[in-house]
Amino acid sequence: MSGDARRMGREPAILLAPGLFFLLLAFFFPAIQLLIQSFLTVGAEAGRLTMEHYAKIVVDDFYAGVALRTFRLALVITVLCLVIGFPLAVVISRAGKLLRTTLIVLLILPLMTSVVIRTFGWLVILGPGGVLSWSLQQLGLIDRSISLMHTETGIVIAMVQVLLPFLVLTTLGSLGQIPVSLEEASRVMGAGFFRSIRHVTLPLSVPGLASGSLLVFALSISSFITPSLVGGVRLQVMAGSIYQQMTGSFDWGFGAALSVVLLIATLALIIPYMVVTSRAGGKA
Amino acid sequence: MIAATPRWVIAATAIFLVAVGLYMLVPLLVVIASSFSTSAFLVFPPPGLSLRWYGEILGSDAYLNAGWTSLKLAMTTVVLSLALGTPAAIALSRFRFPGRSVIGSVFLSPLILPSLIFAIGLLIVFSRYASGPSFAGLVIGHTVITMPYVIRTVSANLADIDPHLDEAARVMGARWWQRYLLVILPQCRTGMAAGAFFAFNISFDDAVVALFMRAPNVETLPMRIYSTLEFSPDPSVAAVSTVMIVMTMVLVVLLNRVFGLSRIT
Repeated sequence: MSGDARRMGREPAILLAPGLFFLLLAFFFPAIQLLIQSFLTVGAEAGRLTMEHYAKIVVDDFYAGVALRTFRLALVITVLCLVIGFPLAVVISRAGKLLRTTLIVLLILPLMTSVVIRTFGWLVILGPGGVLSWSLQQLGLIDRSISLMHTETGIVIAMVQVLLPFLVLTTLGSLGQIPVSLEEASRVMGAGFFRSIRHVTLPLSVPGLASGSLLVFALSISSFITPSLVGGVRLQVMAGSIYQQMTGSFDWGFGAALSVVLLIATLALIIPYMVVTSRAGGKA
Repeated sequence: MIAATPRWVIAATAIFLVAVGLYMLVPLLVVIASSFSTSAFLVFPPPGLSLRWYGEILGSDAYLNAGWTSLKLAMTTVVLSLALGTPAAIALSRFRFPGRSVIGSVFLSPLILPSLIFAIGLLIVFSRYASGPSFAGLVIGHTVITMPYVIRTVSANLADIDPHLDEAARVMGARWWQRYLLVILPQCRTGMAAGAFFAFNISFDDAVVALFMRAPNVETLPMRIYSTLEFSPDPSVAAVSTVMIVMTMVLVVLLNRVFGLSRIT
């Protein structure tokens, strides 16, 4: 009997060990190495401790500008995702089965398509002589071909499409926990459609909206594929600069320092996200 | 009396849904449409229809090699993340032990850290302690980002299933391997299948880890598409992308059949 109990005690450890060991080596160890690299000199006298990489981010106007643009874009993208995503989530949560499935597929299909392909689509739409320019010309709204490539507007349009599903799916989780009877009650008591949404549905979906927007903001500051391809080199964002430092100019110390700044910004957002979601009762 | 929802609200909702639907789908539709173009440039509207770009990619060693690399990478990633993730999910959902919730968050933490930051760390490690990025490095990177999905789907799956069957087997004197082979693993079937679909999809589509872990002679399809887009996109990229979009659609349908899309949210 006692031998049996001991074996049961060992069983979870045996099951967990391979995965934990793997994560330790392949996930946590690289994260620590990144942190160390950001404090090391590179080049002729490599390997000495330094703060120069962090100093460069603050002192260099170019990188201060890149950081500012990154956060400004992320803010605009998050607000737009909220404005489009909240009504969409409300509609999905009340829709019949067919409409609901259609809308969820509409969100999940792009979400599961490679980000390089979605961005490619946006290049064809936003570029000179692209779909957008052609349609506006057909409608007689513009007379010369236009392009939104290499503009912040273009980056925002493409990024909102990429990140909208995250906001909607997160919000849907918390909308699902609101009993329909609450809204019905408010309507029976004489509240109009909008009053019911404003005073019942909206306040109750705040946890979902909050965690969804923190997630969108965090994903937005760390994306580089869409901003680099749509924005080009002139409109660099932090993640794009990091990619360039690591694979182009090989200034790893500086690249690592930029990533640590990005990591800290992300953690500053993700920790409140986790608090919000665990308070909302679990699934994010 | 409940006042009826105003008619204009219903009309506005319909317009809103169509607009959002177009916004989500048009980027994929233009890619599919461009792949059938006769023109060598990505112009809209296409001057004529042809399948020449599909012929082009089937005759291109670069695309075929990239496709083969992506396929091998995704398959290896699936096997590895199932092998590591399934036991962890079983332990987390079937046993009560001290530190369980902390270990659970540790296993899901790769979902939280942006893959960009993880990819840089991995690049540094592989350059310092191995001979630079490699195919094996990509497999390891992809296993880290896909394992949490396996853990989530298998845990969700086990939460729906009666744990007493395993206890019954134990009480009746089943050996540990009999319990796992005949009771527990069959119970995890749907979760493992769903996890495998996710892992395959994520690995096959990933460009972030792949671009940082760029090794000589190892090029995946998303890497190839990215570098083509940076320089000179032509409709052959659209043809490759269309093939990938169709694969994603098949995976979404399978995922819905096996697991139910509503459980993903």
